[in-house]
Amino acid sequence: MKTTMKTIASVSFTALLAACSDGGTAPAASDDGTLSDAAVESGETTGSIQAGSKGTLNIYSARHYDSDKLMYEAFEDQTGIRVRFREAGANQLLETMRAEGENSPADLIIASDAGALWRFKDASLTQPLPEGEFEQLIPERLLEPGRQWVGLARRIRGVAYDPERISPDQVDEWQDLADPSLEGEICVRSSTNIYNLSLMAEMIEKWGAEEAQSWADAVVTNMARTPQGGDTDQVEAVAAGLCSVAITNHYYWVRMTQSGSNATREAAAATQIAFPSFGEGEGIHVNITGVAMAANAQNKNEAMQFVDYLLSSDGQHRLVDETKEIPVIEDVTWPKGLDAIPEFEDSDTPLDTFGERQSEAQRIYDEAGWN
Amino acid sequence: MQAIKASSFHLPRLNPVALITLAAASLIGAPVAIAILTGVIGGGGDAWLHIVSTQLLGYTMTTLAVIGLTATLILLFAVPTAWFVSLNEFPGRGFFEWALILPLAAPGYVLAYAWADAADVAGPIQSLLRDVTGLSARDYWFPSVYSIPGLSFVMASALFPYAYLTARAAFSNLSLCTMEAARSLGASPRRLFLQVALPAARPAIFAGLALALMETAADYGAASYLGVQTLSVGIFRAWHSFSEPAVAARLAVLLILIAFGLQFIERVARGRGGIQQTATRWRTPRRQKLGPVAGWGVAIGCTLVLMLSFVIPVSRLIWVSAETGLGQGQIVRPFLNSLTLALAGSAFAFVLALTITIGARQNRFSQFIGRFAAGAGYAAPGIVLALGALFILSWTGFSVAGPAALIFLVWIYASRFTAAGAEPLNAAFSRAPASLGNAARSLGASRFQRLVRVDLPVAMSGASAAAIILFVETLKELPATLMLRPFNWDTLAVQAFAYASDERLAAATLPSLLITAAGLGPVVLLSLQLTRAGQSRAAG
Repeated sequence: MKTTMKTIASVSFTALLAACSDGGTAPAASDDGTLSDAAVESGETTGSIQAGSKGTLNIYSARHYDSDKLMYEAFEDQTGIRVRFREAGANQLLETMRAEGENSPADLIIASDAGALWRFKDASLTQPLPEGEFEQLIPERLLEPGRQWVGLARRIRGVAYDPERISPDQVDEWQDLADPSLEGEICVRSSTNIYNLSLMAEMIEKWGAEEAQSWADAVVTNMARTPQGGDTDQVEAVAAGLCSVAITNHYYWVRMTQSGSNATREAAAATQIAFPSFGEGEGIHVNITGVAMAANAQNKNEAMQFVDYLLSSDGQHRLVDETKEIPVIEDVTWPKGLDAIPEFEDSDTPLDTFGERQSEAQRIYDEAGWN
Repeated sequence: MQAIKASSFHLPRLNPVALITLAAASLIGAPVAIAILTGVIGGGGDAWLHIVSTQLLGYTMTTLAVIGLTATLILLFAVPTAWFVSLNEFPGRGFFEWALILPLAAPGYVLAYAWADAADVAGPIQSLLRDVTGLSARDYWFPSVYSIPGLSFVMASALFPYAYLTARAAFSNLSLCTMEAARSLGASPRRLFLQVALPAARPAIFAGLALALMETAADYGAASYLGVQTLSVGIFRAWHSFSEPAVAARLAVLLILIAFGLQFIERVARGRGGIQQTATRWRTPRRQKLGPVAGWGVAIGCTLVLMLSFVIPVSRLIWVSAETGLGQGQIVRPFLNSLTLALAGSAFAFVLALTITIGARQNRFSQFIGRFAAGAGYAAPGIVLALGALFILSWTGFSVAGPAALIFLVWIYASRFTAAGAEPLNAAFSRAPASLGNAARSLGASRFQRLVRVDLPVAMSGASAAAIILFVETLKELPATLMLRPFNWDTLAVQAFAYASDERLAAATLPSLLITAAGLGPVVLLSLQLTRAGQSRAAG
């Protein structure tokens, strides 16, 4: 009963709204690191291997891959920790956690796109990750400065183009897509999609709002049709000849090249993939899939074991082999099909800016009439 | 006590049946009421003002346009087919009579995935068009599925069987006398249809249409996949993208008002229209044999409706599934989850539907409160009910991930679909002569005796139809399941939606087809049963 009153207070709408407006002030934990390290060690040296005997781990994941389920099972087999998961869209998981409040069973949050992870952080639903060996393994950019999440896999937003109509230097930089020569040639999905929001956020960061706005305006003029469908649909539209440049994340295109369907493989083969930069020496749009510790995590040791597992060679393979994302650990071999993407250099834009500039990005798209 | 006495003017007699009905109605209505209350009390602040000034008109107009267009298409699909199948003889009639109900097994969102893929610029239809004509993709205009008409077409395909069923029943129940009289007076088949049959069947058609349209208004899966900004999609966005559950609840109030508007229109249409069938000879009129040209024309029309609404989209999914091979995904567990939840949900909904239907026979108060609650639940999109349930869960301190969530989910299913189950039960009463109750009364049967020995058996004659419709509807439910399912309780609907939104249609096909297959058995059963009932009446 004692929790009832507290819960009523914590889930009332006013509380929710208040939590929304003072986001970004997650409490800083200091002593978690040592505590969890010790526990992890003891966990590794004692107990049987029988599943369930070493505790439980509750994962909220915005991914929906069969390979993830196999990954959870592999982790269960290795550690004896029972994994329970709930998959849904990132925003939906976020709102579920808000409504659950202190009752939320979530220990880890896995989401694609730094902009999505930022929303969890902004809603104070995450807490700093304890220190651990994992951070030696990854580039600095992949650990959020406040340790609120860590990147697990990389994903690039680029373009697929029709090499018969378009030369590579017409898609060398994002600015090229605004060129009048591409009028009626661009296919792209709706601007409400997080991938487009994060792309625009980085443009604002690199170019400033004004230039980003004129880019969006020009791209809307260059569209072959009003935005509809997903990234794959855009690539297929290029192959079908409706347009000649499609904005797409790299892995959609790679998956098409590996598809079981002839028509889909042929569509991918009719296109080339390119990673436009934000300008000379300004880098390309490299986003991430990442994991965060839930604010009310009850199983932090198990959670950190899982994070370590995700950054191990086995974990990385299971994480990206089906999705065709790019591993973050250097010596992990890339998934089949990824050899077809061009060489690239990692961006140095802080990933948090994708979230911080999200609403500004949406305003710019809205202004441009990019639905 | 004084207060109760005073109000008992409106609450005629608080007998046990009325109290039980009231309890059932409260169970049905509670999630809606809580969601609405939190919306009204919670207020919306700036976000509400923002949405009112920028989005509200768009959401509302889009929803109304989808409803209007879907209604037109449903009438176009359902009424002529029902007419010809009931009252004419033509090649394949026996097959179409039951096959036209099949689309009920495929959820709207599954048809949306299939059509979006099949009719896309890179899909088989347009590819064929280009191959045949030699045109390039830029040379011609092709209707887009990602549009209001596209969504309306998909929803009409999935839901027209509701109107087809009610229309067919009405046409078959046309009094032989009326029809023969009209014929002997020299009415042409066209006049017979337009001036005799249609006015008589109008209330029934509207009843089926209203169910289908409320389902259309509440749809989330198809509209969001096709990018059509309906109120339902707006509710999701308000909650999930703007983090404003209160605003979501407010939008839901608007959607519920629209649904009540539909119900009101249906009541008005039913009240004014409808030729009372007083003749006791309840035999299906003799079927008119159509000439060869007309007969084959009708057969082609029926084929077209069946192909467009069911065969083509489902075949496309089977094709994609076969082409890409089965994934390594776990499908057995979600399948069993779907069946378990659908069985539990439909069982609970059935009990509630039976309660309010029987209750409605007792007094006007019970009738009103039962219909009102069921109508509100049916009108509210699944996500709104889930919102209400989440708040109750939080208040009571239960975890959304725990077993309690399962009970809530079953409750939400019942709240959502009781109205759909009550419809066939009600229809059972309208088939029975009104004099039955009076006869029982004049024989000195008590209220309770009449309930047990007259009303209950009559209602149960519609029970299998109600149970099947409830099962299939629950099986297809997406948004509430998405919100409330506990850990490791993915259903087929949830899987299909997750894969499809993730641009992996191939992976989405298997769960999509399994939902359809699981619904197909019961639907065929329902179809055969109703068809046989019609035949036995015709024979008798």
